[in-house]
Amino acid sequence: MIVLSISFLLTIIAILLLILFFFTMYLVYQRQRESQLKTRRDIYLHNYSQIWYDYLFHDEPFSIVLVPRGKAQVEAIEIIFSSYLKNLMNENVKKVIKEFSNLYLKKFYEQDLLSKRWSIRMNALYRIADLQIDELLDTCQQFEKTRISEEEFFQLLKIYSLFQPDLFMDKLKDQNAHYSESEYRRLFVLLEDDVFIRFFDDFDNWPLNIRFAVIDTAAVKRNMQYIDKLKHLLSSDISEIKVRALKGLYEIGVIDEIDSYVPFVTSDMWEARLMVAKIFKHAPITYTYAYLEQLLQDENWWVRSQAAKTIAEDRQGLEKLQDFIESSNDPYAIERAQEITARKQENK
Amino acid sequence: MKFLDICMWFFGGVILFYMLFVITSYCTMFIIAMVDLRKRYRLDPSEYDDAHIDAFYSKPVSLLVPAYNEEVGVVDTVYSLLNLRYPQTEIIIINDGSTDTTLQTVIEHFQMKPVNKIVQTNIPTKQVKQIYESQIYKNCILVDKENGGKADALNVGINVSQYPYFCSIDGDSILDEKSLLRVMKPIILSDGEVIAAGGNIRIANGAKMQFGSIYETQLPSNYLVIMQVIEYLRAFLMGRIALSKFNLVLIISGAFSVFSKKWAVEAGGYSTNIIGEDMELVVNIHRLIKEKKENKRIAFVPDPVCWTEAPQTLAVLRNQRRRWHQGLFESLWKHKKMTLNPRYGLIGFISFPYFWLIECLGPIVELGGYIYIIIAFFFGKIYYEIAVMLLLLFVIYGVIFSVASILFEAWSMNTYPKKRELFRMILLAFTEIFWYRPLTLLWRCEGLLRFIRGKSDWGNMKRVGIAEKEKSV
Repeated sequence: MIVLSISFLLTIIAILLLILFFFTMYLVYQRQRESQLKTRRDIYLHNYSQIWYDYLFHDEPFSIVLVPRGKAQVEAIEIIFSSYLKNLMNENVKKVIKEFSNLYLKKFYEQDLLSKRWSIRMNALYRIADLQIDELLDTCQQFEKTRISEEEFFQLLKIYSLFQPDLFMDKLKDQNAHYSESEYRRLFVLLEDDVFIRFFDDFDNWPLNIRFAVIDTAAVKRNMQYIDKLKHLLSSDISEIKVRALKGLYEIGVIDEIDSYVPFVTSDMWEARLMVAKIFKHAPITYTYAYLEQLLQDENWWVRSQAAKTIAEDRQGLEKLQDFIESSNDPYAIERAQEITARKQENK
Repeated sequence: MKFLDICMWFFGGVILFYMLFVITSYCTMFIIAMVDLRKRYRLDPSEYDDAHIDAFYSKPVSLLVPAYNEEVGVVDTVYSLLNLRYPQTEIIIINDGSTDTTLQTVIEHFQMKPVNKIVQTNIPTKQVKQIYESQIYKNCILVDKENGGKADALNVGINVSQYPYFCSIDGDSILDEKSLLRVMKPIILSDGEVIAAGGNIRIANGAKMQFGSIYETQLPSNYLVIMQVIEYLRAFLMGRIALSKFNLVLIISGAFSVFSKKWAVEAGGYSTNIIGEDMELVVNIHRLIKEKKENKRIAFVPDPVCWTEAPQTLAVLRNQRRRWHQGLFESLWKHKKMTLNPRYGLIGFISFPYFWLIECLGPIVELGGYIYIIIAFFFGKIYYEIAVMLLLLFVIYGVIFSVASILFEAWSMNTYPKKRELFRMILLAFTEIFWYRPLTLLWRCEGLLRFIRGKSDWGNMKRVGIAEKEKSV
């Protein structure tokens, strides 16, 4: 048995070594191919980058030599387009890139969507969205009917949000996939305001993480039209929604009245009290000082700290903090006020 | 003689059975890692990076750099953190009572000025002497404290930090510019379900670096270091990826890991009375998750790369391995009640037995195997066959797995792109079982003995600094 086992082990080792040998050869061959592809890509970049620049920025006539032939040239064009799209906000350039991609790159990505390899399909979906190849919308819808991963469906949602927002809203309602808040934010931030505001119409019917993402996106869009929508959410039963709405209102930074926020000065949630202390930065201290003094004596370290910072930011803030230090008998509040005063004076 | 025969057969059988068990376990983990990495092969990572570079999609992170006598490497480490592509960070350098010029070097280099700052004591620590703030980089803070060890320094960092996540980085490590963005990916994409994540650690010796950025990776010329490069690749492919997939990770390297501050504080922060403080925190968090019955995870992320300095001499390597193994044993022993305890689910039933049997007791059995082979050749013909079989299993375990890891890494990640480097690594892997493996086994067994004897008087690794390395290798 042992003799058999030795020969068995020897056979296994021989087979494994053979596999590793062939794998090494394959790796060497593959590296060779990749290096050739890279050379072809670099040659295209070297020869045509300037022509692309002139075509995109100086309205030079389109030259047929720019039309890609093969994978290496498509990769080179992707590099050129991506560098312009990431670093420039030029609508005309975007339009030209979109037209070119729809005309000459479409077929490559259509082909890639049929690939068995998940990563190649994903890359194709990335490019369809980045280069705005809207002529592939139908292909994408067909692609959705095949067995796709959650990541691929997410990219499809992104594509729909760009090319057909109504379809996007429908798909979002019917989807079974679960995405994170951060991913939903990535989708919502691309939406036009007239589409995005529709989320507030039946706000409570959306899953919780979509609701959170909507509030955060409204905050980052910094549009006045969302102030009332967010204020409305301050009466929500869900405490996290209230805190996020407060955060959103702080970030939009326009406080036309303080009555909506005053009840949160005595909120049970320290996060809400913290946000009010922040929001009061945007209101004149004459209206808010009484509340800020209350928050300066809060049981929570962060709330005390924020209240002191908010007071210190006002022109008369340091004086007010000094008065507070002299008159108060709350050692924790005095400690925070002293630290903020000292830092403010250091900065001066 | 009869007794000796029984012993030889018994130990021969145990070692053979053990080796087969280890090989099967590693094979399974290797296949899981291959499937996972193969899926991502050729996926364009810049899409995610570019999308999440905005603070709106990410979460702020406090970067903690504990430094004890790191005058050579600390400046480069801080530069590598300043180079990070991440929207919101603060850098907290904690000088743990260094006896060299670490404090002065940091103060002078980053124009640090003392500030009044009240620190919340979430975790009790040794006294903080002074906090400084950089005049050049406003998000860079230096904390000078009494010496209390790395764990204590990290706890001070946690107390001083203001963000919900913190990332611990060794004072001699260099981060890739996108590493933080990518290590935070599972945390951000899971809406907080992932509460800690560790990154992939690579050896920096031989790499070319300028102002905290590695701009060219090169295989070092020192054979001892190359063997460690291979060893890191193996550990990464035959362990962490697979364990992470099933939330079974017990070790995420302290050289580069991110934790939710809330959970780390609740777990008591880093333990100051134990060698492997990074493993200890992970185990404590796992314990907390199970006790609170929460659906949280600890993940290992394959691509984020942290470059670290590897020992270049046998003496320093011996010290390091001895310490690592002693730390591992200490942590496992401290939490021994979790082993096979149904209360801790798969952590108790898979992770702990795996770490006990393969990582912890493995060196004893393997070293026993080497001794067995030597004795068998003295004892005569009847044991030759067991000895040969053992040797062949060592070849599969040592050589085949190492070569497979090198090739698979070259195929999926391609850290060392030159063909010559690839062949050099493969050739060296064939020698592993004759010198490197027995040596490390010996040192790990030494660590075990030191644990049993309660010794902990090891020295610090003598650093030459990553940037200087090319001169010294």
